[in-house]
Amino acid sequence: MTDERIGAKDGKSEMTGMNGGHAETGGGISAGVAETQAASGGNAGNAKPDVMIRVENLQKSFGKLNVLKGITTDVARGEVVAVIGPSGSGKSTFLRCLNRLEEPTGGHVWIDGIDILDRRTDITRVRQRIGMVFQHFHLFPHMTVFDNICYAPVKVKGWSREQAGAKAMDLLTRVGLADKANEYPSRLSGGQKQRAAIARSLAMEPEIMLFDEPTSALDPEMVKEVLEVIRGLAHTGITMLIVTHEMKFAREAADTVYFLDNGLLLEKAPPDKFFTSPQTERAKQFLDKVL
Amino acid sequence: MNLDFGVLADKWQYLLGGAYYTLLFTFVSALFGFALGTILSLFKISGIAPLRWFATAYTSVFRGTPLLLQLAIIYYATPQLLNYKISPLLAAGLAFGLNSAAYLSETIRAGIMAVDKGQREAAIALGVPYRMMMKDIILPQAFKNILPAVVNECIALLKESSLVSVIGVADLMRRANIVSADTFRFFEPLIFVGAIYYVLVLLLTALANRLERRLRRSD
Repeated sequence: MTDERIGAKDGKSEMTGMNGGHAETGGGISAGVAETQAASGGNAGNAKPDVMIRVENLQKSFGKLNVLKGITTDVARGEVVAVIGPSGSGKSTFLRCLNRLEEPTGGHVWIDGIDILDRRTDITRVRQRIGMVFQHFHLFPHMTVFDNICYAPVKVKGWSREQAGAKAMDLLTRVGLADKANEYPSRLSGGQKQRAAIARSLAMEPEIMLFDEPTSALDPEMVKEVLEVIRGLAHTGITMLIVTHEMKFAREAADTVYFLDNGLLLEKAPPDKFFTSPQTERAKQFLDKVL
Repeated sequence: MNLDFGVLADKWQYLLGGAYYTLLFTFVSALFGFALGTILSLFKISGIAPLRWFATAYTSVFRGTPLLLQLAIIYYATPQLLNYKISPLLAAGLAFGLNSAAYLSETIRAGIMAVDKGQREAAIALGVPYRMMMKDIILPQAFKNILPAVVNECIALLKESSLVSVIGVADLMRRANIVSADTFRFFEPLIFVGAIYYVLVLLLTALANRLERRLRRSD
């Protein structure tokens, strides 16, 4: 897996070079993480993996409550990451810091080489490259499903209505909702709402997709249809981070599992490795409870 | 009983004509108040402290003093201060608009706060700039939520507009007073314009109900 990424990145070597300085600091801090992808470090000399998201010592506190206590990691372009951990471990906050829906209180985040915490960075432009899917969908209730999807491409990207409309219908077909285009969100089931919300994010042609517990608010019989859509996106070139409690899905769809506990990234491993031989006691306890 | 609606035989058209001024004036001040109220509500939720202070002070002053006093100051003091002879209609529209903006800004602010926080986050995550998000996502939902309260404000404006009779605008109330002075009869002209006010309020309510039904289409 690591070798593939190294191969894919050649075209972007300039960008990676820019981050060279940060990479060293990042490596130092992440030393505490049970790192199973040791190979990437060894190849640093000639070719580094194409890093889409670089997180360095990320911290977030709400008043006196430290939710993230220093997370460091790199997510490669096209990588699918499942973020798991007990509730309150900081999974959602971690995700929300990546597009600055939450303002980090410390550390650094680079998206495709852009320091998003730099005051001079136009965060709105960066966000246009990052899709986000929420637990509670957050479709715009006063617009039809079709308008929900067309809105941002037309207003933000300046696409023509025809172009955006064609894209919307294409996406609705892909998520199995072509017949619901002219319905208002209130007429859809939870699973349909979430698929429409995914289509809305995809309409912006994001390079990164963040899924914040996308199936946690759904009735059990609707979980599958949403997971199938997400699974269909994996390995199409989009970098994906999925906060989820669906262990089976994490195991099957992800390249890497992040195990967060108490604001720290305790483990980072391919799913096979993580689910069969977790390295930390906390992960073992967690897996005992959920599996 | 001394009651004779016959005295209105040649006056009723004149009285009814006052409805034009009453409506014009309600419409203008409601529109002005709504526009200014929206701006003030955005000031109140803004991250820029001086804008918040200004909007808060504005609301405090315009809610804290009588409307009739504000009307008198604008109508009588403008010529003295600015050397500009302000027309009664303009003065009244200004006073009522400024006043209702103070009330509406609070209503609209509450409407904005009541829109689910997730709507904002969804728009932000899509990379929608703040102004567009407010205009296309947040305010339409806020306005829908507060429509009943805005209708209340419009009805109040329509009735309070009778205050403008004191500065000589020939609205319904003023005309009833003129007819009373002409005929030395009070009950008939007053009850007649009273009925007109009531019908106007009923019409306004019916209009608002239709609008509300249309907006509820998406529910």
